[in-house]
Amino acid sequence: MHIPLPEELELLEANYQDLDPPEQDPDPPEPVPPDSLPLEINGHKRPRSDTPKSPIDVDEPQFDEKRSRIVDNDDEDWLRYSTPPPQARDDARVEVEEKFVSRYASEIDGDCLPVTAPSGGDRVYVKISSSGVEERVKKLDVRAHSNSLTSEPIDALLQKVEQEAFNKALNSSSEGQSDRSLPEKPVVHEQLWVDKYAPNSFTELLSDEQTNREVLLWLKQWDSCVFGSEIRSTSEEVLSALRRHSTISQNKKQNDSSFTRKNRGNRWSNGNFRNSNNLEYENSNSKGIQDSWHKKTRSTGPPEQKVLLLCGPPGLGKTTLAHVAAKHCGYHVVEVNASDDRSSSTIENKILDVVQMNSVMADSRPKCLVIDEIDGALGDGKGAVEVILKMVSAERKSNTAKENVAKEDQSEKISKKKGRKKASLLRPVICICNDLYAPALRSLRQIAKVHVFIQPSVSRVVSRLKHICNNESMKTSSIALTTLAEYTECDIRSCLNTLQFLDKKKEILNVMDIGSQVVGRKDMSRSAFDIWKEIFQKRKTKRLRNSVSSSSNVSNEFDFLHSLISNRGDYDVIFDGIHENILQLQYHDPVMLKTVKCLDCLGNSDLMHQYIMRTQQMPLYVYQPPLAITVHRLVSQIQKPNLEWPKSYQRYRNAFMEKMDIFKSWHSKIPPYISRHLSTESFVEDSISPLLHILSPPTLRPVALHLLSAKEKNDLAQLVSAMVSYSLTYKNTKSDPLLNNLGNEVSHDVSTLSFDPPINEFITFKGYRSNHYVLALAVKQVLVHEVEKQRIMQVTIGKSEHLADGYKENMDLAGEEDSKTESAKTNNAAVSAKLIEKSKSLPYSRQCNPSTSTVLTTLDSSRSSTASVKPKSSGDTKKSFRSSSSFFDRFRKLSGKVSQDTDNAVQKATVERDSLPLLFKFNESINYQLPLDYFSSAGFRSFLCYQLPLGRVLQMLLKGRFECVISCYHRLFCYLFVIVEGIYVNVLDAKGIQIHQMFIMCLYVHGDAAEPLSVQLEKDGTWARRSVSLTTVFSIPIVAVTICRSK
Amino acid sequence: MLWADKYRPKTLDQVIVHQDIAQNLKKLVTEQDCPHLLFYGPPGSGKKTLIMALLRQVFGPGAEKVKVENKTWKIDAGSRNIDLELTTLSSANHVELSPSDAGFQDRYVVREVIKEMAKNRPIDTKGKRGFKVLVLNEVDKLSREAQHSLRRTMEKYSASCRLILCCNSSSKVTEAIRSRCLNIRINSPTEEQIVKVLEFIAKKEGLQLPSGFATRLAEKSNRSLRRAILSFETCRVQQYPFKDNQAIPAMDWEEFVFEIASDIMQEQSPKRLFQVRGKLYELLLNCVPPVVVLKRLLYELLKRLDAEIKHEVCHWAAYYVSISFQILFIVPLVDFPSPLECSAQAAYIQPPLIRANSGPVALHS
Repeated sequence: MHIPLPEELELLEANYQDLDPPEQDPDPPEPVPPDSLPLEINGHKRPRSDTPKSPIDVDEPQFDEKRSRIVDNDDEDWLRYSTPPPQARDDARVEVEEKFVSRYASEIDGDCLPVTAPSGGDRVYVKISSSGVEERVKKLDVRAHSNSLTSEPIDALLQKVEQEAFNKALNSSSEGQSDRSLPEKPVVHEQLWVDKYAPNSFTELLSDEQTNREVLLWLKQWDSCVFGSEIRSTSEEVLSALRRHSTISQNKKQNDSSFTRKNRGNRWSNGNFRNSNNLEYENSNSKGIQDSWHKKTRSTGPPEQKVLLLCGPPGLGKTTLAHVAAKHCGYHVVEVNASDDRSSSTIENKILDVVQMNSVMADSRPKCLVIDEIDGALGDGKGAVEVILKMVSAERKSNTAKENVAKEDQSEKISKKKGRKKASLLRPVICICNDLYAPALRSLRQIAKVHVFIQPSVSRVVSRLKHICNNESMKTSSIALTTLAEYTECDIRSCLNTLQFLDKKKEILNVMDIGSQVVGRKDMSRSAFDIWKEIFQKRKTKRLRNSVSSSSNVSNEFDFLHSLISNRGDYDVIFDGIHENILQLQYHDPVMLKTVKCLDCLGNSDLMHQYIMRTQQMPLYVYQPPLAITVHRLVSQIQKPNLEWPKSYQRYRNAFMEKMDIFKSWHSKIPPYISRHLSTESFVEDSISPLLHILSPPTLRPVALHLLSAKEKNDLAQLVSAMVSYSLTYKNTKSDPLLNNLGNEVSHDVSTLSFDPPINEFITFKGYRSNHYVLALAVKQVLVHEVEKQRIMQVTIGKSEHLADGYKENMDLAGEEDSKTESAKTNNAAVSAKLIEKSKSLPYSRQCNPSTSTVLTTLDSSRSSTASVKPKSSGDTKKSFRSSSSFFDRFRKLSGKVSQDTDNAVQKATVERDSLPLLFKFNESINYQLPLDYFSSAGFRSFLCYQLPLGRVLQMLLKGRFECVISCYHRLFCYLFVIVEGIYVNVLDAKGIQIHQMFIMCLYVHGDAAEPLSVQLEKDGTWARRSVSLTTVFSIPIVAVTICRSK
Repeated sequence: MLWADKYRPKTLDQVIVHQDIAQNLKKLVTEQDCPHLLFYGPPGSGKKTLIMALLRQVFGPGAEKVKVENKTWKIDAGSRNIDLELTTLSSANHVELSPSDAGFQDRYVVREVIKEMAKNRPIDTKGKRGFKVLVLNEVDKLSREAQHSLRRTMEKYSASCRLILCCNSSSKVTEAIRSRCLNIRINSPTEEQIVKVLEFIAKKEGLQLPSGFATRLAEKSNRSLRRAILSFETCRVQQYPFKDNQAIPAMDWEEFVFEIASDIMQEQSPKRLFQVRGKLYELLLNCVPPVVVLKRLLYELLKRLDAEIKHEVCHWAAYYVSISFQILFIVPLVDFPSPLECSAQAAYIQPPLIRANSGPVALHS
């Protein structure tokens, strides 16, 4: 009858020693009926966390019976058996307490033992002074962990412990290791020490305490997900306790916590007692409790980051930690190593196996995947990373979807939940790498919880080594061990290997050996960061040895750095990093001699690099590391340098390329008679500043055009011509703080007009304020208009000139037209058309003398004359339109034949629309009409319209059934050609109402801008379906139209 | 149009600054077949203007009608095919291009272009002008290989094609090429010549240009005609009736170098060096050539330094200019100059200062 309970307690005790509060929290938030709890523990948890013991399993029902039968006694038993162990422990601790008790492990030198209070989870570190105590604790440890304590009652065990403490002076290794926990002496020599003395339990871990805890915490967070809520111990309280420890923040006295623990322990038993009395009540309520319980465990849930990434230099115990921690938390560890096949498909299968399936074999513990050396193989290792990433992202995606399902499931049994998720991570995955910044890990780094291992303190390593040496009865001195540890940078593995090697040779480790060939060095390449750190940081340990032999120290250091740097290789990255960080260092250099020397080295290295790249003489690279070592000798400091990855080179290079691109693309737009004289250098050196001054004259008043004096107009014309000749304009940009700094007057609008291309950026130096005047927004707007106008005129002139090659008589015709219109002022449309025409033809005839100011003035004059005509003309508009609408009528008849179903309403709308005067705004001051009659008579014209949709233009032109080429310029100045040959087209406006049907053979739209303009329409049957794209095409604002041929 | 472009001489007769050279060239092309030419001289001295005027003299106004082309060449370079793209200006009789834009592959460009031109040699019934002219800009930036291949092709196709080379420094053109060309040195215009040009422009524009102001413009222009005219127009735009003491706006990058120089003079420490380095980067990424920056910085520093260390500063500046030249010469600088190189330059402007500081003579006294 006593059997199960001591075991229970032993389990508690073992876990106690194991530093594992989560496993056993004796003070649950809600008391639970005792027989439901043990049942669960026995039935589910135990087999998983420990090796199953068949006799117990068989006996279980019996125990339960017994326990329910003697509830009262049971309570007493609990009390009776729970007291002794703490007492024993207290004894052990009390004698120690007087010496060193601290909340921080770092405050205690030498060995320390962490002790946790079960109730609050408070934790203190206790220094272990006498080896007897250490030994005793050790024994408990080992035995507890190996789970061999099945049949011994606790008092027997205590006796044994007592005995062993008594016999502590004796060689305890063979006698103490009972059962099967450690191999027998004869086997020892067959085994590597590294394996033999690998830590088996959490306490034995040598790695940094805090890291250990955080790893454990992370694993514990999985409990609710993996084991379900059966594990009571991972309650919020324990987790928070763990958390508290990992972020050492609290400062409670140890005594207090022990007090509370006792109190709480009593409370717990009381609670149990009460609960067992109120069994029926509890049973009725158990459902509700379970629910609330369940909620709580859900809230702790699996950790945010599903992957743990451990990184650090080799030999610090990453793999060991992963194994031990996982085993400790009751997982079966599955390791994927660099030596395994790591192609994407195999690894995926493997991971899926591990992560989602439960073994049917005897070992039914959940699995924990450990991917070792994930950074090792770049090509294949990526497979693993990819698979993990995929799973994590799948998880994220489905998370929201699952939320609902999860809510429904809440009341159901927890065990059912496991099967729900498909391709997501259900088991903890621990990845281990050496180089955190390996390129293959970049994406993993973002989603994983990263822990960087730091070196354990030398004293810890040494004490461990000493212990092992004692065990192996090898004679060493602690000085030699310390040197060894330092030499290998606390790489325990290499220390042990070295020791075993020496032991085999029957040699004694002495200080001298370590520097010699006896101790193997690791051939490892480190990350660039490590190398920079080594270069900039003096090693303290080296300094200590200065006294021993300073000359050999120097050469040692040289060798060390040399091998370090040459193992890494990437000299340009290394030197880049030195170059960028060196000036930020704090070193004493009043006359800058050191700095100059260092930069000299860097310069030499750079020259050498250039030379090597040029001549491809790679062997010369061996001369690079010494340069870095020189820098090290000059500037290395003891304090830790604040390093940054060198980015500025790349950044500046990109900015430079960007600027060059801006210049190049702009340069290609400038007409050749200017651009050929303008190279990058001369532009930046001589031209840009004056050019910007010239382009923004402070004398230009921000008033409307017509208010300017003649002289000012002349200035403006010159400015516009300069802008056009340099193909500059302004464009809307989001107000950029950088740009705004430039100007004296900052417009606070969201969008401002700035140069396009942004040539003003060529004088924006950081931290420099140029005194360039910036034009007012209004002036800029005027300029944009004028420039655009000027440009269009130039282009149309060029175009008509180009097309006119065979049509000499055209000029005469135009002249005729001009004279005709001068006389006949009745036809308003013609008048306006002619006026534009005139303004066009004037420069056209004078194009050998491209003085644009004259063009402008003619335009101005023509505009004013139109303005004067306008009041008269507005009355006439309708009439003239009527007269010209004969085209429409003809057209409508034609269209009526083709599409009969055009209903009246539409027709009415069409008529209405058609009857609207075809007015376009030009410069927002004067209205122009499309001169249809004029086109019908003129052979070959171009005219200017402003912001007219293509559809309108087509519509109007096709009334005359022209075969024409329309060059359309919309604001951004990419143009499209529309070749219209003759077929029926439904022209729709933006609302989809049919404006008109047109007879167009074929419409090719060639867009320069590769927008939706590549519409090619061929057959009449397909129009309707394509009308949408037609609409977009037709609504492109057109600025100029050239008609090349008439029928 | 800016004045600098508007009043650019179009014919050899209109040339004001290098009248003697222009007349010689005119004689050369009218009397006999013109040889290969190599124009060299500092930027802004009028090389290209002369070349264009010369072309006009040879081919008539047709030479001005050029079209811009983005040509691509497919070159079979033994093991691989190289696609090259380059912008060329070409008229019926001549082609202009800057082969150094092609970077490492410039030699292919040189070879291919000349071959292509030789292939379609213009046929002239009169037998005259039976050649095309290839204008190569920035020959000094050509890689050595390109220059070597140029040497051979020059001879091979000399019957059908004339080369006009244009560069800033003839020292960076190999001896072989120089000896195959008629070398024409174009000096920077003297200040008097600049004044003359400015007065000419003022007359054409109908402006009153006080002579004192014109001289000041010329002085400030660094003997670059382009800069003089541009500054002139700037002043015109900013304030018309000119005054003798009117401010002439400086180049922004020069102002910035001025700031750098005063930074250097203020304090010599690693931290300051870091700042200065950042500022130098700013200049470089705004496409200001490193050599130009270095020269200007030297100029600014020399104004403030003690006499004893001027010599040394000059020495180091020259050293670093020569290094960057060396690099330029062998690997055409299509790349951003390496930061290390620049920092070294920056550092090396400094050592003399430091030594001066450590010596008995304090800098600022």
